[in-house]
Amino acid sequence: MTTATSGSPVSGFIESAFNPLVHEVASRCLTDRPGDGTRTAIVLGSTIGDSTTTDLASTLLIGGQVSNPLLFMQATANAVLGYLSKEFGITGPLVALSALTDLGSALLDTAALLLDDEELDRVLVVGVELTGNDRTAAASLELGLDVPAEDFAVALLVDRDTPPGDTAGYDLRRLAGRPTP
Amino acid sequence: MAEVVVTGYGVRTAFGRGADALRRGVFGGVPSFAPTTRFDTGPYRTPFAATTGTDEPDSQRDALGDCVDEAVEMAGFTARDDTAVLVGTSGDFAVLTRFWRGEAGVDVADTVPAHLVDLLAARIGAAGQRLAFTNACVASASAVIHACGLIASGRLDSAVCAGAYLVEEEVFAKFDSGRALSRDGVVRPFSADRSGLLLGDGAAAVVLESATSARRRGARPLATVVGWGAASDAFHVSRPHPGGAGLAAAAQRALRRSGDPDGLRVDYVNAHGTATKFNDPAETRGLHEVFGARADQVPVSSTKSTTGHLLEAAGIVEFVITLLALTDGVLPPTANFTGADPSCDLDYVPNTPRDADVRRAMSVNAAFGGANTALVLERP
Repeated sequence: MTTATSGSPVSGFIESAFNPLVHEVASRCLTDRPGDGTRTAIVLGSTIGDSTTTDLASTLLIGGQVSNPLLFMQATANAVLGYLSKEFGITGPLVALSALTDLGSALLDTAALLLDDEELDRVLVVGVELTGNDRTAAASLELGLDVPAEDFAVALLVDRDTPPGDTAGYDLRRLAGRPTP
Repeated sequence: MAEVVVTGYGVRTAFGRGADALRRGVFGGVPSFAPTTRFDTGPYRTPFAATTGTDEPDSQRDALGDCVDEAVEMAGFTARDDTAVLVGTSGDFAVLTRFWRGEAGVDVADTVPAHLVDLLAARIGAAGQRLAFTNACVASASAVIHACGLIASGRLDSAVCAGAYLVEEEVFAKFDSGRALSRDGVVRPFSADRSGLLLGDGAAAVVLESATSARRRGARPLATVVGWGAASDAFHVSRPHPGGAGLAAAAQRALRRSGDPDGLRVDYVNAHGTATKFNDPAETRGLHEVFGARADQVPVSSTKSTTGHLLEAAGIVEFVITLLALTDGVLPPTANFTGADPSCDLDYVPNTPRDADVRRAMSVNAAFGGANTALVLERP
């Protein structure tokens, strides 16, 4: 398992810390524990998502400026997952989720569900949240969500033989969302 | 493994609400594109989209709510403590735009995908897992796949899956900047002169449950989901693998699960068929890989030629269209087909609906990042 509060720039991705953070923790995990990409899946979770990219595109639009095609490309988390899948030869399912309550457990449950498939051996679980902006602050206030104090990502590799353990649960609970009951 | 059945659905496209609207439009091969008046299209390369009339709700929360109500009513279903609600959505971008414009009374929480799921769960009293799937054009298909896994493995008995995208300026502008939109208002999947996709309004919901659950409460299964699979291309952040590798792998996973690894029993494929330069030949090659020598005998159509690309809703609306092909015995055509690209050489059901005894059908979808999904449905 690995965590990060910043990541090195990723070619083709601009402005937002979201994709570099995802790439940072995911690539560390996958480099530390190389495996068969054809038997690997990725599940990414973020309650709010890449608010920097989303809201930058929105404010450009309202300001009458032409949208940057790179923002179009990175507008979904799929883009960085696709980048990772190419880099590490991962051809299993790519899933991206959002939940308001206990996203961390939802990610681990989803990994367990994917591992029911005998064609998969391991799942890279990635959680990521940004501190956000005025829009996400307003939404979080309305929804009673905890807002992270800093941009943050966590990744761990889950396989049938290695249960994620308590520390994974702790780090995944640092994601945004309502406090776990 | 528990058998997974569909007991109800609700759907809305630019043709209107319900199955009959789909029969008239999608199955009639009638495109629904027109210059949209939902926002000023002056700054863009095209004004065209497939949008509903102004009498329909223009918020995702209302569109999803209507579809879920319709699905639950058709199924005669009452949500239980463990009923999951799984929705393909990236949040309501129209609300996002209004927030940044400083408009008053904006439900800013609707920009958070998971909030729309919580609203739906509360609406039907479902207390199980609540997840938003945000993986773009495979989002709602991924929600269905997740539900099938949960039900088949016995983790739970029922799930309501949904997905929504309604045309708005944010995403329209992004696709325009990516030069992905057809400028002449026509979407021509698999044709040599195709020039891109157009966006469309779409929302749908389905009730999925174990066959035992349906039987116990006397509900009539509309179809059985016999196969599901997902796989990725490992090729590019936005372009599909030119050989359709990930799409083929997703379809093959689904077919292996269905007990028909070579797809010999598949009578129809609802294609992703975006009418973009890269998708259609890649998808064609992927389907060749799946069906082998039989590929040219399997009818394949793109209903995006009539509905437009429904993004997060594409998977689930096309799942419903595929279900209707099974139950009605009619294949929806690929509209606006003007003659195949030499690299697109399948039977695309050109322009005219076709009567067919469809017992099994597959719906495939693909998304940015090389994510692909496949779902196989069977008539009871």
